[in-house]
Amino acid sequence: MNENQQKTTHFGYQTVAETDKASMVADVFHSVAAKYDVMNDLMSFGIHRLWKRQTIASSGVRKGHHVLDLAGGTGDLTAKFSQLVGETGQVVLGDINSSMLKVGREKLHNLGLVGNIDYVQMNAEALPFPDNSFDLITIAFGLRNVTDKDKALRSMYRILKPGGRLLVLEFSKPEHEALSKAYDFYSFNLLPTMGKLVANDSESYKYLAESIRMHPDQDTLKAMMNDAGFEQTTYQNLTGGIVALHRGFKY
Amino acid sequence: MFTNFLVAIVERILNTSLKLDSTLIDKLAPIAHKQLLIEIRDWQQRFLLVFSDQQLHLYSTEENQYDCMISGDIDTLMALQNPAMLTQLIRQDKLDLQGDLNIAQGFSNAFAAMDVDWPEHFSRYLGDAPAQQLWLSLKSVQQKGQAADKKLATTLSQLCQDELKVTIHPIELEQFKQHTRQLKGHVAQLEQRINRLLQNHSIQ
Repeated sequence: MNENQQKTTHFGYQTVAETDKASMVADVFHSVAAKYDVMNDLMSFGIHRLWKRQTIASSGVRKGHHVLDLAGGTGDLTAKFSQLVGETGQVVLGDINSSMLKVGREKLHNLGLVGNIDYVQMNAEALPFPDNSFDLITIAFGLRNVTDKDKALRSMYRILKPGGRLLVLEFSKPEHEALSKAYDFYSFNLLPTMGKLVANDSESYKYLAESIRMHPDQDTLKAMMNDAGFEQTTYQNLTGGIVALHRGFKY
Repeated sequence: MFTNFLVAIVERILNTSLKLDSTLIDKLAPIAHKQLLIEIRDWQQRFLLVFSDQQLHLYSTEENQYDCMISGDIDTLMALQNPAMLTQLIRQDKLDLQGDLNIAQGFSNAFAAMDVDWPEHFSRYLGDAPAQQLWLSLKSVQQKGQAADKKLATTLSQLCQDELKVTIHPIELEQFKQHTRQLKGHVAQLEQRINRLLQNHSIQ
C-alpha cells in the first residue's frame, strides 16, 4: 500500500502512476505545440510577455554567460538570452517534449537566431550536464509538469556554477480572494472553451487549469528551493500572485 | 507590471529608431553588450539598457550589475541630450556616474547625432516626389508652428511683465474732469450769449 502511494503523483486533479505522468504530460504538449504561442497570447491576454520580460530583467545575464532555458518550449526566453549572451555565450533550450523543441527551433531559426543556441531534449530530473556548468537556469511554466520537483531542483542546483542563479517562473496562488475566485471562474470555464475553439483541445487546457491548482504555492516552492540547497531564495508575485517568479542562488 | 508594459513600449520605440537611422547601429557597436544602468531618482526606478545583436534591450530592474551607472533626476537626465552637459552636471552634483564613462557618452552621442532620412522612408510608400513634397510641407508646418510658438511666448511674457490698463490713470481722470469743467464753462457762456441775443431781439 505504502509502496503504491510512493509511486503515484498528480496529473491535474487525477492521481496517476509516477511512471505514467511524463508521457501524459508529453501527450498534452504534443497536442498543443503547434498552437502554443497563439494560445499563450490569447489565454494571458499577452501578459505572459511581461512576465517573461520580468524574468529576463531579474536574470543578471550578460555577455559570455552559459544559460539553460529549461522547459523552454517555443523559445521566448531563449531568443532574448541568445542576444544578450552574444557569440561568446551559449544558450541551451531544453525540453522533455520533442514537438515543443521542434516548434522552438523552427521559430528561432526563422528569427535568424543561430550559432549560440543548442537544442537538447532532456528530463529536468536528470539533467545531462556536468556539475557547475551554467551561470543561469530558467524554468518558465515548466516546473509544475515535472513529476519529482525536488529531484529536478536538486539536479538544477548541481549543474549551476557557484554564483549562478535559478529563476522559476510559474503559476502560483493569487494574493486576494476576489482575484482568486475570478481566476478560478476563468480557468475552469473560459479556458477549456478557448482551448476547444482555437486548438481543438479542451482536455489539455483543463489539465493546465488543474495542474496550476496542484502546484505548490509561493512559500512552499521557496522552501523546496531552500531544501535543494539554494540560498538567498526570494519570490516576486506578478499580476496579483497569479504568477510568481522565484529566485535562488548557488554559492 | 505597468512599468514593465511602458518599458516594453519604450524599447520598441528605441528599436524602431535603430531601423530609421541605420548609422545608429555602427555608432552603438563599440559599446555592444555593455550594460548601462539608469537610475531615475525622483521616480525611484532603475532601468538597464544594453545594445546587443543589433537590438536595444531595456528593462526595469533591481539588479546591481552594470558597466556604467548614471543616477539623477529626470530633468538632469533629459539635459544629457546635449553630451557637452555631462561634465558640468557631474560637477554640480546633479548627476552621479559610476563605472566606464565612455558607455554613457556612447549612448548619449549616438542618439544626439541621430539623423533620420524621413523623405527616404516616406518614399517607400509614396514615391520620391510626393515624399519630398510631404517632407517640405511638414518642415514648413513645423517652422510656422515654431514661429507661432515663439510669438505666443513673447506676447505672454510681455503681458506678464507689463502693467495691464484695467482702469484709466488718475492723471487722465483729472484731465477729463478739467475738460468737462471747461466745456461746462463754454456751454454756460454760450447760454448767456444766446439769452442776451434773444433779449435784444425781443426789445427790438
